[in-house]
Amino acid sequence: MKAKNRDQSLSDSRELDGSYDQLTDSVEDDFELSTVCHRPESMDKLQEQTKFTKKELQVLYRGFKNECPSGAVNEENFKIIYSQFFPQGDSSMYAHFLFEAFDTNKNGSVSFEDFVFGLSIILRGTINDRLNWAFNLYDLNKDGCITKEEMLDIMKSIYDMMGKYTYPTMQDDVPREHVESFFQKMDRNKDGVVTIEEFIETCKKDENIMQSMQLFDNVI
Amino acid sequence: MAAGVAAWLPFARAAAIGWMPVASTPMPIPPQEKTKGKDGLIILNVSGTKFQTWRTTLERYPDTLLGSTERDFFFHEETNEYFFDRDPDIFRHILNFFRTGKLHYPRQECIAAYDEELAFFGIIPEIIGDCCYEEYKDRRRENAERLQDDEEMDMSNDAPPVNLTYREFLWRAFENPHTSTLALVFYYVTGFFIAISVMANVVETVPCGVLPNRSKEMSCGDRYALAFFCLDTACVMIFTVEYLLRLIAAPSRYKFMKSVMSVIDVVAIMPYYIGLVMTDNDQVSGAFVTLRVFRVFRIFKFSRHSAGLRILGYTLKSCASELGFLLFSLTMAIIIFATVMFYAEKGSTASKFTSIPAAFWYTIVTMTTLGYGDMVPKTIVGKVFGSICSLSGVLVIALPVPVIVSNFSRIYHQSQRAEKRRAQRKARLGKIRAAKIRGTNVYMRYKQNGLLINSLEEASKEAGRALVAKAPSPPFESQHNHLLHCLEKTTNHEFVDEQTFQANCMEISVMNKSGSRASSLSSSPHGLSSCCSRRHRKKSSFSLPSTNNQELSTIQIRERPVANSRSSLNAKLDETVPLKCDKPYITPSMVSLSAPVVTSSDGHGSITTAAYSQSNIVRVSAL
Repeated sequence: MKAKNRDQSLSDSRELDGSYDQLTDSVEDDFELSTVCHRPESMDKLQEQTKFTKKELQVLYRGFKNECPSGAVNEENFKIIYSQFFPQGDSSMYAHFLFEAFDTNKNGSVSFEDFVFGLSIILRGTINDRLNWAFNLYDLNKDGCITKEEMLDIMKSIYDMMGKYTYPTMQDDVPREHVESFFQKMDRNKDGVVTIEEFIETCKKDENIMQSMQLFDNVI
Repeated sequence: MAAGVAAWLPFARAAAIGWMPVASTPMPIPPQEKTKGKDGLIILNVSGTKFQTWRTTLERYPDTLLGSTERDFFFHEETNEYFFDRDPDIFRHILNFFRTGKLHYPRQECIAAYDEELAFFGIIPEIIGDCCYEEYKDRRRENAERLQDDEEMDMSNDAPPVNLTYREFLWRAFENPHTSTLALVFYYVTGFFIAISVMANVVETVPCGVLPNRSKEMSCGDRYALAFFCLDTACVMIFTVEYLLRLIAAPSRYKFMKSVMSVIDVVAIMPYYIGLVMTDNDQVSGAFVTLRVFRVFRIFKFSRHSAGLRILGYTLKSCASELGFLLFSLTMAIIIFATVMFYAEKGSTASKFTSIPAAFWYTIVTMTTLGYGDMVPKTIVGKVFGSICSLSGVLVIALPVPVIVSNFSRIYHQSQRAEKRRAQRKARLGKIRAAKIRGTNVYMRYKQNGLLINSLEEASKEAGRALVAKAPSPPFESQHNHLLHCLEKTTNHEFVDEQTFQANCMEISVMNKSGSRASSLSSSPHGLSSCCSRRHRKKSSFSLPSTNNQELSTIQIRERPVANSRSSLNAKLDETVPLKCDKPYITPSMVSLSAPVVTSSDGHGSITTAAYSQSNIVRVSAL
């Protein structure tokens, strides 16, 4: 019988009972907890900087802290949280784009301030602010214009959230067609990209979009 | 569903801003918020221990007692709190479930009490977190087995049922000797004869003294051949009769013949019969003698009489791989040392180590520290290696044996646990999947109900009848459903469940996009365009009040088959939705499976539960 160290015997016993998952490492790796803790600024300051009332901030923070006790959410957690709202499809790509949009200082984690600033714009901002934010979300490389490739990525991520079981059956070229129709509507000068001015102008003229922007007034 | 992250729902709804500019169709109307100041603290008084939590925390899980209107039954006016006459210690865990979304099982609590509390508060145990689930299931199984054992003991002490067939009675007598006196007698008689037979086989070979007309000593078997033969015949007759009776009485003869015990029985009595038919020929007598060896297998028949033997046999069987490994390593060591000893002793004269296989015997005897001394090395090299062999024998054999013993007990327990876990996981995943499916069905029913309610409200106003009181829907559910609805609008595709999807794939060819409303209402329509157009039209102008009324009355009167009429009212893919209404939905937090629709949209549940004709509290309050 060969001598076994603890790890070896642990993994052996796990192999023996068939519950060992080859993908995960030994148990010790999971014991390293991240000790990073982030505390938000005081509520007064946040109240000045955003358009939420104290009570709303309280509700938001409680929910935030519940899911992310360490005070900041990284992209993994963000995707996990968002995916719980869309059990049928794959929302990871769209969650990634959202994360990029919320993480304004590009440090790989969304703190409560980032979270609340973003929400403040979407839920309490003017139409212009909201449209700006949406444009920022679409503009993946933040160069001030949306190309067809960027829009296609966004569109695919939205359609991915629907999942496989839809009615009518999802064809492969549906996102592309949708992008085409979007560009037809938005791209005024037909130069293949949508700039912020074209975007805002077209959206303001579109009644549907204006109406849907009103939805966000009552979210909180 | 996503109730665990309910607090993040505003964020998810805000994130929908990314869909708005892309959508080509208008978004659905969001659900109206009730009074916003409802987020207050609730006091829960459980047998004197006061717990407090936010109202919204409890309402995350509308399928449970605390999250639904059911808790109003426990409201105590004088003290303005909710009073529950239950165990506060266990309640702590239940409340933690609402707070964190994970249910834990406290190890020190009694499993039955815990189950009762879960059932009372409407939480199904399958959502217990992974950290505690195994322990929970183990305790539950133990408890169930204990109860079952008690039941069985009670049962076996009862008087046997009178109307057994003769065959069943016989089988029962064989398997359970304690059931009747006759069976007990038979049991002891066969045991006695097994012992006699084995003793006779043994005594047969003892030398019995010298007969006057023979020179050498004879064994008792030869001297009293006739007596032994008669004894043997008697035993074999008893065994044969027993075997035949068991064969007749067995409920499944094929299974019986395959079982180990029956094989042992056959092997025990065959030599006698073979010996009968064989002549006293010299050629076959050798084989005959070999067959007599099999008579010793009669001793294994004792395993019917002893449970310990059976357990030993089973454990050996289950530990076979470990024993096999021990044997393999021993064989390796034996071969190595035998080879070494052979070549070491090759030079010495008159060496007993004539070949490597001959040296096997020496190696085995030395390694097991027996040391018979019939083969000893003579050369110095041989002695050196001989001593190494003997020392390593101690290690190779003595060390693994306790390890094997403990290994065997560990593997035994572990394999049992692994089996359990696998079975549990399958069942759990099945239920969780069903809950997920139910989640999407909640949403789809919300869509249909939303329109139904709107149209019916209008219709009732027109008809001047107050229908039903619209109970407030849980804000979380309706908002989540609205969110999914927006996504559908953005992408111009609709969520369906798996079955519908398969059915649609097959029905693609049959889809007709007729827009005729009247026919489509009564028959089964298809086509998304017609549905959408109808839905739009329904929203804008409720031009079918009469039909709605009529349908409504049929809904109210009829029972189960009403599902069809309801589907025709809401048409579109209801036909293809195989009305999983019929199946009880398993929700993550609802024990009583009889009220699937309560959770989807309580305001709409009133109508639909009437449609489903499943008795529950909601229907009573609605009608």
